[in-house]
Amino acid sequence: MSSAFARVFEAWLVLVALASLVFFALRILPGDPALLILGDSASVTEVATLRARLHLDEPLLVQYGRFLSGIHTLDLGDSLRRPGVKATRRVLSALGPTAELAGVAVALGATLGIALAALAEGPWLGTRRRWIERAMVVVAASPLIAFAPVLTYALAARARVVPLPGDPQAGVYGLLFASALLAVPLAAQVGRTGRAALAELTRGQFLTVAAAKGATPRRVIFLHALPAASGPILTVIAAQLGALLGGAVVLERLFERWGLGTLILEAYASRDLPVLEGAVVAAGALFVLAQGGAAFAHALLDPRARP
Amino acid sequence: MRRVVRLVPLGLVVALSIAGVLWGRGSPDHLEPRLAWCAPSGARPLGCGEAGVDLLALVSHAEVRGVELAAVVALVGFGFGTPLGAFAALTRGRAERAVSRACDLIQAFPTFLLALAVLSAVRSPSRVHLGFVFALTAWAPFARLALVETRVLRDAAFVEAAFALGMSRTRVLVRHIVPNLLGVVAVQLGSAGASIVVAEAAFAFVGMGPRDGVSLGAVLDQGVAAMLRAPHVLFVGAACVFATSASMLVAGRAIEPGR
Repeated sequence: MSSAFARVFEAWLVLVALASLVFFALRILPGDPALLILGDSASVTEVATLRARLHLDEPLLVQYGRFLSGIHTLDLGDSLRRPGVKATRRVLSALGPTAELAGVAVALGATLGIALAALAEGPWLGTRRRWIERAMVVVAASPLIAFAPVLTYALAARARVVPLPGDPQAGVYGLLFASALLAVPLAAQVGRTGRAALAELTRGQFLTVAAAKGATPRRVIFLHALPAASGPILTVIAAQLGALLGGAVVLERLFERWGLGTLILEAYASRDLPVLEGAVVAAGALFVLAQGGAAFAHALLDPRARP
Repeated sequence: MRRVVRLVPLGLVVALSIAGVLWGRGSPDHLEPRLAWCAPSGARPLGCGEAGVDLLALVSHAEVRGVELAAVVALVGFGFGTPLGAFAALTRGRAERAVSRACDLIQAFPTFLLALAVLSAVRSPSRVHLGFVFALTAWAPFARLALVETRVLRDAAFVEAAFALGMSRTRVLVRHIVPNLLGVVAVQLGSAGASIVVAEAAFAFVGMGPRDGVSLGAVLDQGVAAMLRAPHVLFVGAACVFATSASMLVAGRAIEPGR
């Protein structure tokens, strides 16, 4: 129980640190946020009104206290760009699509990666196994930003075998295509780590025993070896979550798909501070939650990881 | 010999882009609207982009500046992270745990969010701002590697002897630990550089790049916008990002010790 509490506390600490960083970056660094929002041509009264609305005329600590309580009560005030709409409402409406995209990508990447690891380590492919390993090295080295637009051009614009994910009519297939793009680098990383973990385990006596009892290679790998290799695999997934979220922003921009990335970029461009702060913290929360999920899954699959 | 071979791709990329800068016809600021989106030809080997910008000039300028940024940031991260990690491991205890945890967190964290938080303080980021933001997190992989290596080194006989002779911790660190680390930790330079090139392109792609618009990400952005009309722009941008990042990864392995 205490370790679960410590985990939650740490996650909370990370989020507060991120929120504070956004808050202070916008207020301490040179440049008046009100001037950044309105531009240099704004009149003194306009700037003063906006400063009052954003509570920028209060002492910094009072502002900070208001901001922290706002984060915890999910109330950061109105969006500047769309007056009358709560900033948190806009953030929550964008959280769903991004979580969907990242979630499907993790599921696809993990499945594909584990399958590749099993193929590269199992007896089915003979000497051709080395090609899988090489392919994974090349794919892991290819940046998403380079291959995602090219694949989109080839598959969606030219061959038209998949719909453009930004198209409102694209539906499930659009989501699957976008997630698959995001899943490719993850699959390569999971595959490489998984293969290394499985290779390490093949020397384990418990696998020899399983094979001696007549288990097929498929049974040995999937039932006996994989749960024991779940630690490194889940660790690499957790470590890739940050990159995945960054990739989601790039893909949302590429496909003009609604989500946290689009919202963050829009709020950044129009200096919509309440929305920007809320969206960055929400993305951080998504990340922290997913990391916690990875730790939980590890404990579920591997009894040695239980506290 | 194999080490030298591994430096060739990066050397080639840099040499080609410098040649493009020196002998290319136009500058990336020179626009010829009537040639907008024209396909590759003899006069314009890579074709034109938006508003008739010569892609060869744009790409080679962007490449030089991108590699420059990556080299500076990776070296800063190396120079800061290595002693930090080594020092933490040498002090043991709380400092070691704190640095190790910080590295874990930074490496897994969505760096994009962190960068965004800091960049939102400036109206339009310059390349220096971007470099600063990347440097905030670039030290972590170096520190972690130095920490792990120092954990082994700190129990070595020569380190124990140095302490027994009355050397201070700093002196042991500077004279005995860090020189032994450099080779191992420097391997990380390649992947750090590659990730900075990719990150810079990604930032420029989503519209947060340097305000002069000379970036590989800006080329990709143009390519996506004109995907059907002028697909060559997209291919040029993607190929450049891939070539730069892959050549840096390969070059990093040239420093690999003990091979």
